[in-house]
Amino acid sequence: MITLITILTLFFPIDENIKIIDPWMRPNAKGMASALYFTIENNTEAADTLFKVESDLAERIEIHETYSSGDVMGMREVGMIIVKAGSSFELKPGAHHIMLMRLKNDVKEGDSGEFILHFKNAGEIKITADVRSK
Amino acid sequence: MIKRIEIILTAGIFLVTLSCSQDLPLNKDLTKKSYKLINQDSTLVKFPEIILGNITVMGFIYTHCPDICPMTTHNMYLTEMRLKKDNIKDVKFVALSFDPERDKPYVLEKFAEIRDIDFKNWTLITGEQSIIYDLLRRFDVRAVATDSVFYDDGEVSYSMMHTDRISLIDKEGRLRKNYVGSRINIDELIKDIKYLGEY
Repeated sequence: MITLITILTLFFPIDENIKIIDPWMRPNAKGMASALYFTIENNTEAADTLFKVESDLAERIEIHETYSSGDVMGMREVGMIIVKAGSSFELKPGAHHIMLMRLKNDVKEGDSGEFILHFKNAGEIKITADVRSK
Repeated sequence: MIKRIEIILTAGIFLVTLSCSQDLPLNKDLTKKSYKLINQDSTLVKFPEIILGNITVMGFIYTHCPDICPMTTHNMYLTEMRLKKDNIKDVKFVALSFDPERDKPYVLEKFAEIRDIDFKNWTLITGEQSIIYDLLRRFDVRAVATDSVFYDDGEVSYSMMHTDRISLIDKEGRLRKNYVGSRINIDELIKDIKYLGEY
């Protein structure tokens, strides 16, 4: 039995429970706002919820979504993101994003920043995001 | 026979004219009113006088916008890079802030510098709120402050709901076409610029 499990693990490695893919953020100057984007992959059998993001980069950090009404765009706080079991959720330009308000320093292309993502089940996940102008 | 050729030629010219006007659907003269504004150097400028003589790509932004306006600005930047590759260097880029309360000239300058924006081709403009709002109406652009948050020091920050817009203006100061700024098809914009400038 142990041999079988070992073989299965070799061929089908167990993923991290919650995987954060390709985190990146936009450049902006001190005092202004930026946005953080990434994809959350939930490899567990239960839904998980991202409810808080922390970083020393900004004075205030909120979970937001961009919405449209005709050709008018707006933005609002959503408080949390629920990722269903065995699925993924993409935070991307023009949609959900992490809003970084009042940057403490200039954030330029090529820089990177550290964040702690808080999930209800997975707990804290530390990530490093590159700064990109795309 | 000559009459038939004349009819065919007239019909051909009509069709060509029709197809061109369909490519650039607007023809709104912006020169009928002049607006006193201020650029990123704190220099007083007049619009549209500052753009006359050049094809202009104009974006509508506010610098505290984290998502849509950086995409619009970046699309304008990518357009400039593509035009430079094609050796087209006389197109001007204007970013108008609809948040004059926060977007002072030094803020606009900083916003541009951090994005490696070249002030040789770019002007970022702001001005008195009433003037800005009057100018926005000329472009049918809407912008209104929405959700506010208070920081610990008592300062208020707000988001803005706004039209997602890049506009193309010809050398004579006529608005010729509007695009969705954050999702613009850059190939389409470049094609329209080349059509207007006969490059």
